[in-house]
Amino acid sequence: MRGRKVITRRDFLRGTAYTAFTVALGPSLSGEAKAEEKVKVVLIRDENVTDPQGQINQRILQRMLDQGVCQLLGVENPVQAWKQLIRPNDIVGIKSNGWFNLPTPRELEEAIQQRIMDVGVPKKNIGIDDRGVLNHPIFKSSTALINVRPLRTHHWSGVGGCIKNYVMFVSTPWLYHSDACSPLASIWGKAIVKGKTRLNILSLIRTQFYNRGAHHFDRRFVSEYKGLLIGQDPVALDAVGARLLQLQRTTHFGEDRPLDNPPTHIFAADEKYKLGVSDLRRIEVVKLGWMENSLI
Amino acid sequence: MRVSLFLLLVIGVVLVTTEFPALSAEKDGRKAEMKRLLPLKVEDYKTDGKDEFYDRQTTFRYMDGAAELYRSYAFKLLLVRRYLKSGHPSLLVELFDMGSSEDAFGIFSYQTEEEEVGIGQGSDYGGGLLRFWKGNYFANIFAERETPATRKDILTLGEAIAKNIKKKGSKPKLIQFLPEEGLSQGTIRYFHLHQVLNHHYFISHDNILNLGARTNAIFATYPFSGEKSKTFLLLIQYPDQKQSEKTFKSFVKAYIPEADSSVAIRIENNKWTKAQLHKQYVIVVFDAPDNGKTEELIKITQTHLERRRP
Repeated sequence: MRGRKVITRRDFLRGTAYTAFTVALGPSLSGEAKAEEKVKVVLIRDENVTDPQGQINQRILQRMLDQGVCQLLGVENPVQAWKQLIRPNDIVGIKSNGWFNLPTPRELEEAIQQRIMDVGVPKKNIGIDDRGVLNHPIFKSSTALINVRPLRTHHWSGVGGCIKNYVMFVSTPWLYHSDACSPLASIWGKAIVKGKTRLNILSLIRTQFYNRGAHHFDRRFVSEYKGLLIGQDPVALDAVGARLLQLQRTTHFGEDRPLDNPPTHIFAADEKYKLGVSDLRRIEVVKLGWMENSLI
Repeated sequence: MRVSLFLLLVIGVVLVTTEFPALSAEKDGRKAEMKRLLPLKVEDYKTDGKDEFYDRQTTFRYMDGAAELYRSYAFKLLLVRRYLKSGHPSLLVELFDMGSSEDAFGIFSYQTEEEEVGIGQGSDYGGGLLRFWKGNYFANIFAERETPATRKDILTLGEAIAKNIKKKGSKPKLIQFLPEEGLSQGTIRYFHLHQVLNHHYFISHDNILNLGARTNAIFATYPFSGEKSKTFLLLIQYPDQKQSEKTFKSFVKAYIPEADSSVAIRIENNKWTKAQLHKQYVIVVFDAPDNGKTEELIKITQTHLERRRP
C-alpha cells in the first residue's frame, strides 16, 4: 500500500472513486483525459436475435457480427474485414467460455468460425475451446486467437470479461485471484497468447448483472440485452462492459448495488500491464442497430 | 550438492502431489459419511449414480468463479449428486463439508435475502434455489429448470437431507457479543476475508482491516425504527491484541484519518462512523444516524465482550 492512495467507500461517496482508482494504479490517467486518439469499440444490438423462447437466430447473429466487424475495421465486406484479422495460413484458436450457466452462444462460435473459414483457413486449423486450451493442439500451435465470451458479474474479480477469459491459459488460475484478480492481465504476456489476439468479442446477448445463487447465477438477474460488443482492445471492452453492468443493476434495483469486488483487474490491465485503455473518456462506443434501453 | 537439491525437489513435489495414507483414509471416510447423508431416493426422484467429489484444489473445475468464496472458509469437501425423475427436471444437490459449524453458518450467511423455509438450522429459498446449513454442512439444492412442482420437490429433498444430518452445530461465538436490541437476525454475516466484507459492505479494495484466514468477523445490520437507512456493526476478532492494535491504527488512518480515535465522525453521507479497539477485537460502527447511537452500539458490544467471554 505504501506510496499509493487507498481507495475507500468514502471516495465513492465523494464521487472521486474513478480518479482515486487511476491515482492508485498510476499517475497518467489522473486529471484530464489524455489527448491520444480514442479506442474504438462497436456496440451492435438486434431485438430479434433471440425469440420469445430464448432461441438465438443464427442468421441475425451472423449479420450482427458482420456489421460490427465491418464497422470496427472500416470495411464494407465482412470477408474483407476478416482478411484484415486472419491470414489463410493462420492456425486459429477461438477462446470461448463454457461456463454452463451462461456459456458463449454456440451460434456465435459458429458465426466466427464461418468467417475464419471464409478467409481461407481450413476447418482443421481452427479450434474452439475453453478449459482445454492448454492441451488443445490448435491452441498450443496457434498463430491467431479470437477471444469471445459473455459479459457477467463475477464474485471475485467484479466483472468476467475479455481479460479474465484467458485465465484458462494458465494451469494455476487461483494464483491470479489476489487483490480481486488484479494480476489477470499478466496472463496476456505469456507465450501461448502473447500478441496473438486479433479480435475480442463480448457477447451481450444475455448479460448477468448481479451475483446470487449456488454458482453466483440466478436467472432473475440476467438481462436479454441482445447485443455484441466488438473491439481489438480487451481492456476497453471490459471497461465499457463494467459500466453496462453497473447501469443494469441500477435500472433493475432502482439503486446501484456495488459489484462484489471493484474490477481492479481492468484498471491494472491498463496502468500496470499496458494491455489497453480503461478510461471511458478515451473509448469511443460506436452504436449500431436497435438501441432501445441500451443504457450506454 | 546438486544431487541433494534434486532429491529435496523430488521429495517436495511428491509431498505436494500425493496424500499421506492417513489423510487419504480420512478423506475416504468423509466421502462415505457424506454419501450416507444424501438419500438414494426421495419420492419418485432417484440418484443417477454418478456422484462427484471435489476438494479445495479441484473445486475450481466444478464451479468456475464461485470456488473462491467457499475456499475463503474452511471448506473441505463437496459432494455433487443429481436426482432424476421421468418427465421432470433433474435436481442437483451440492453438499459441502465446511470443516466447522461456524463456517457452515458463515457460507450460509453470505446470502440470506429470500424466504426462511424451516430446513436445517437456517434456510433460504428463492429463485429455485434452496440453501441451508446444519452442523458442519452447508447445502445448495436446485433444479435444472423451474416448473410449478420444483419448489415442493426441492424442499422435500432438502428436508430429507437435513434430517439425515444428525449433529447440530453452533453458530460463531462472536454473535453473542452483538447488541440485541434492533438487531436484524437474518442479516448477520460471518466471514474471514475482506472480499466477503466488501460483498456486504464495500469498504476498500485494499485489505485495510487486515482480514485473513485467522481473523473472524461478524457484520450485522440494525434497521432502527424511524430511520430509513440502516446502521451496520462490524466486529472482528484478531489472533492477538498486537494485531488488533496495529489494524486499528492503520484502519483509522486509511478510513477516518480526520478522526480522533476516541470520537465518532460524520462522513460524506451525513452518517456517523466510529472505530473502537477492545483487546483483541476491533469494533466499527458504520452509518449510524447520530453520534449517540454510534456510542451506544460500541459500548454495549464492549460490555458483552467483557461479560460474555467465551
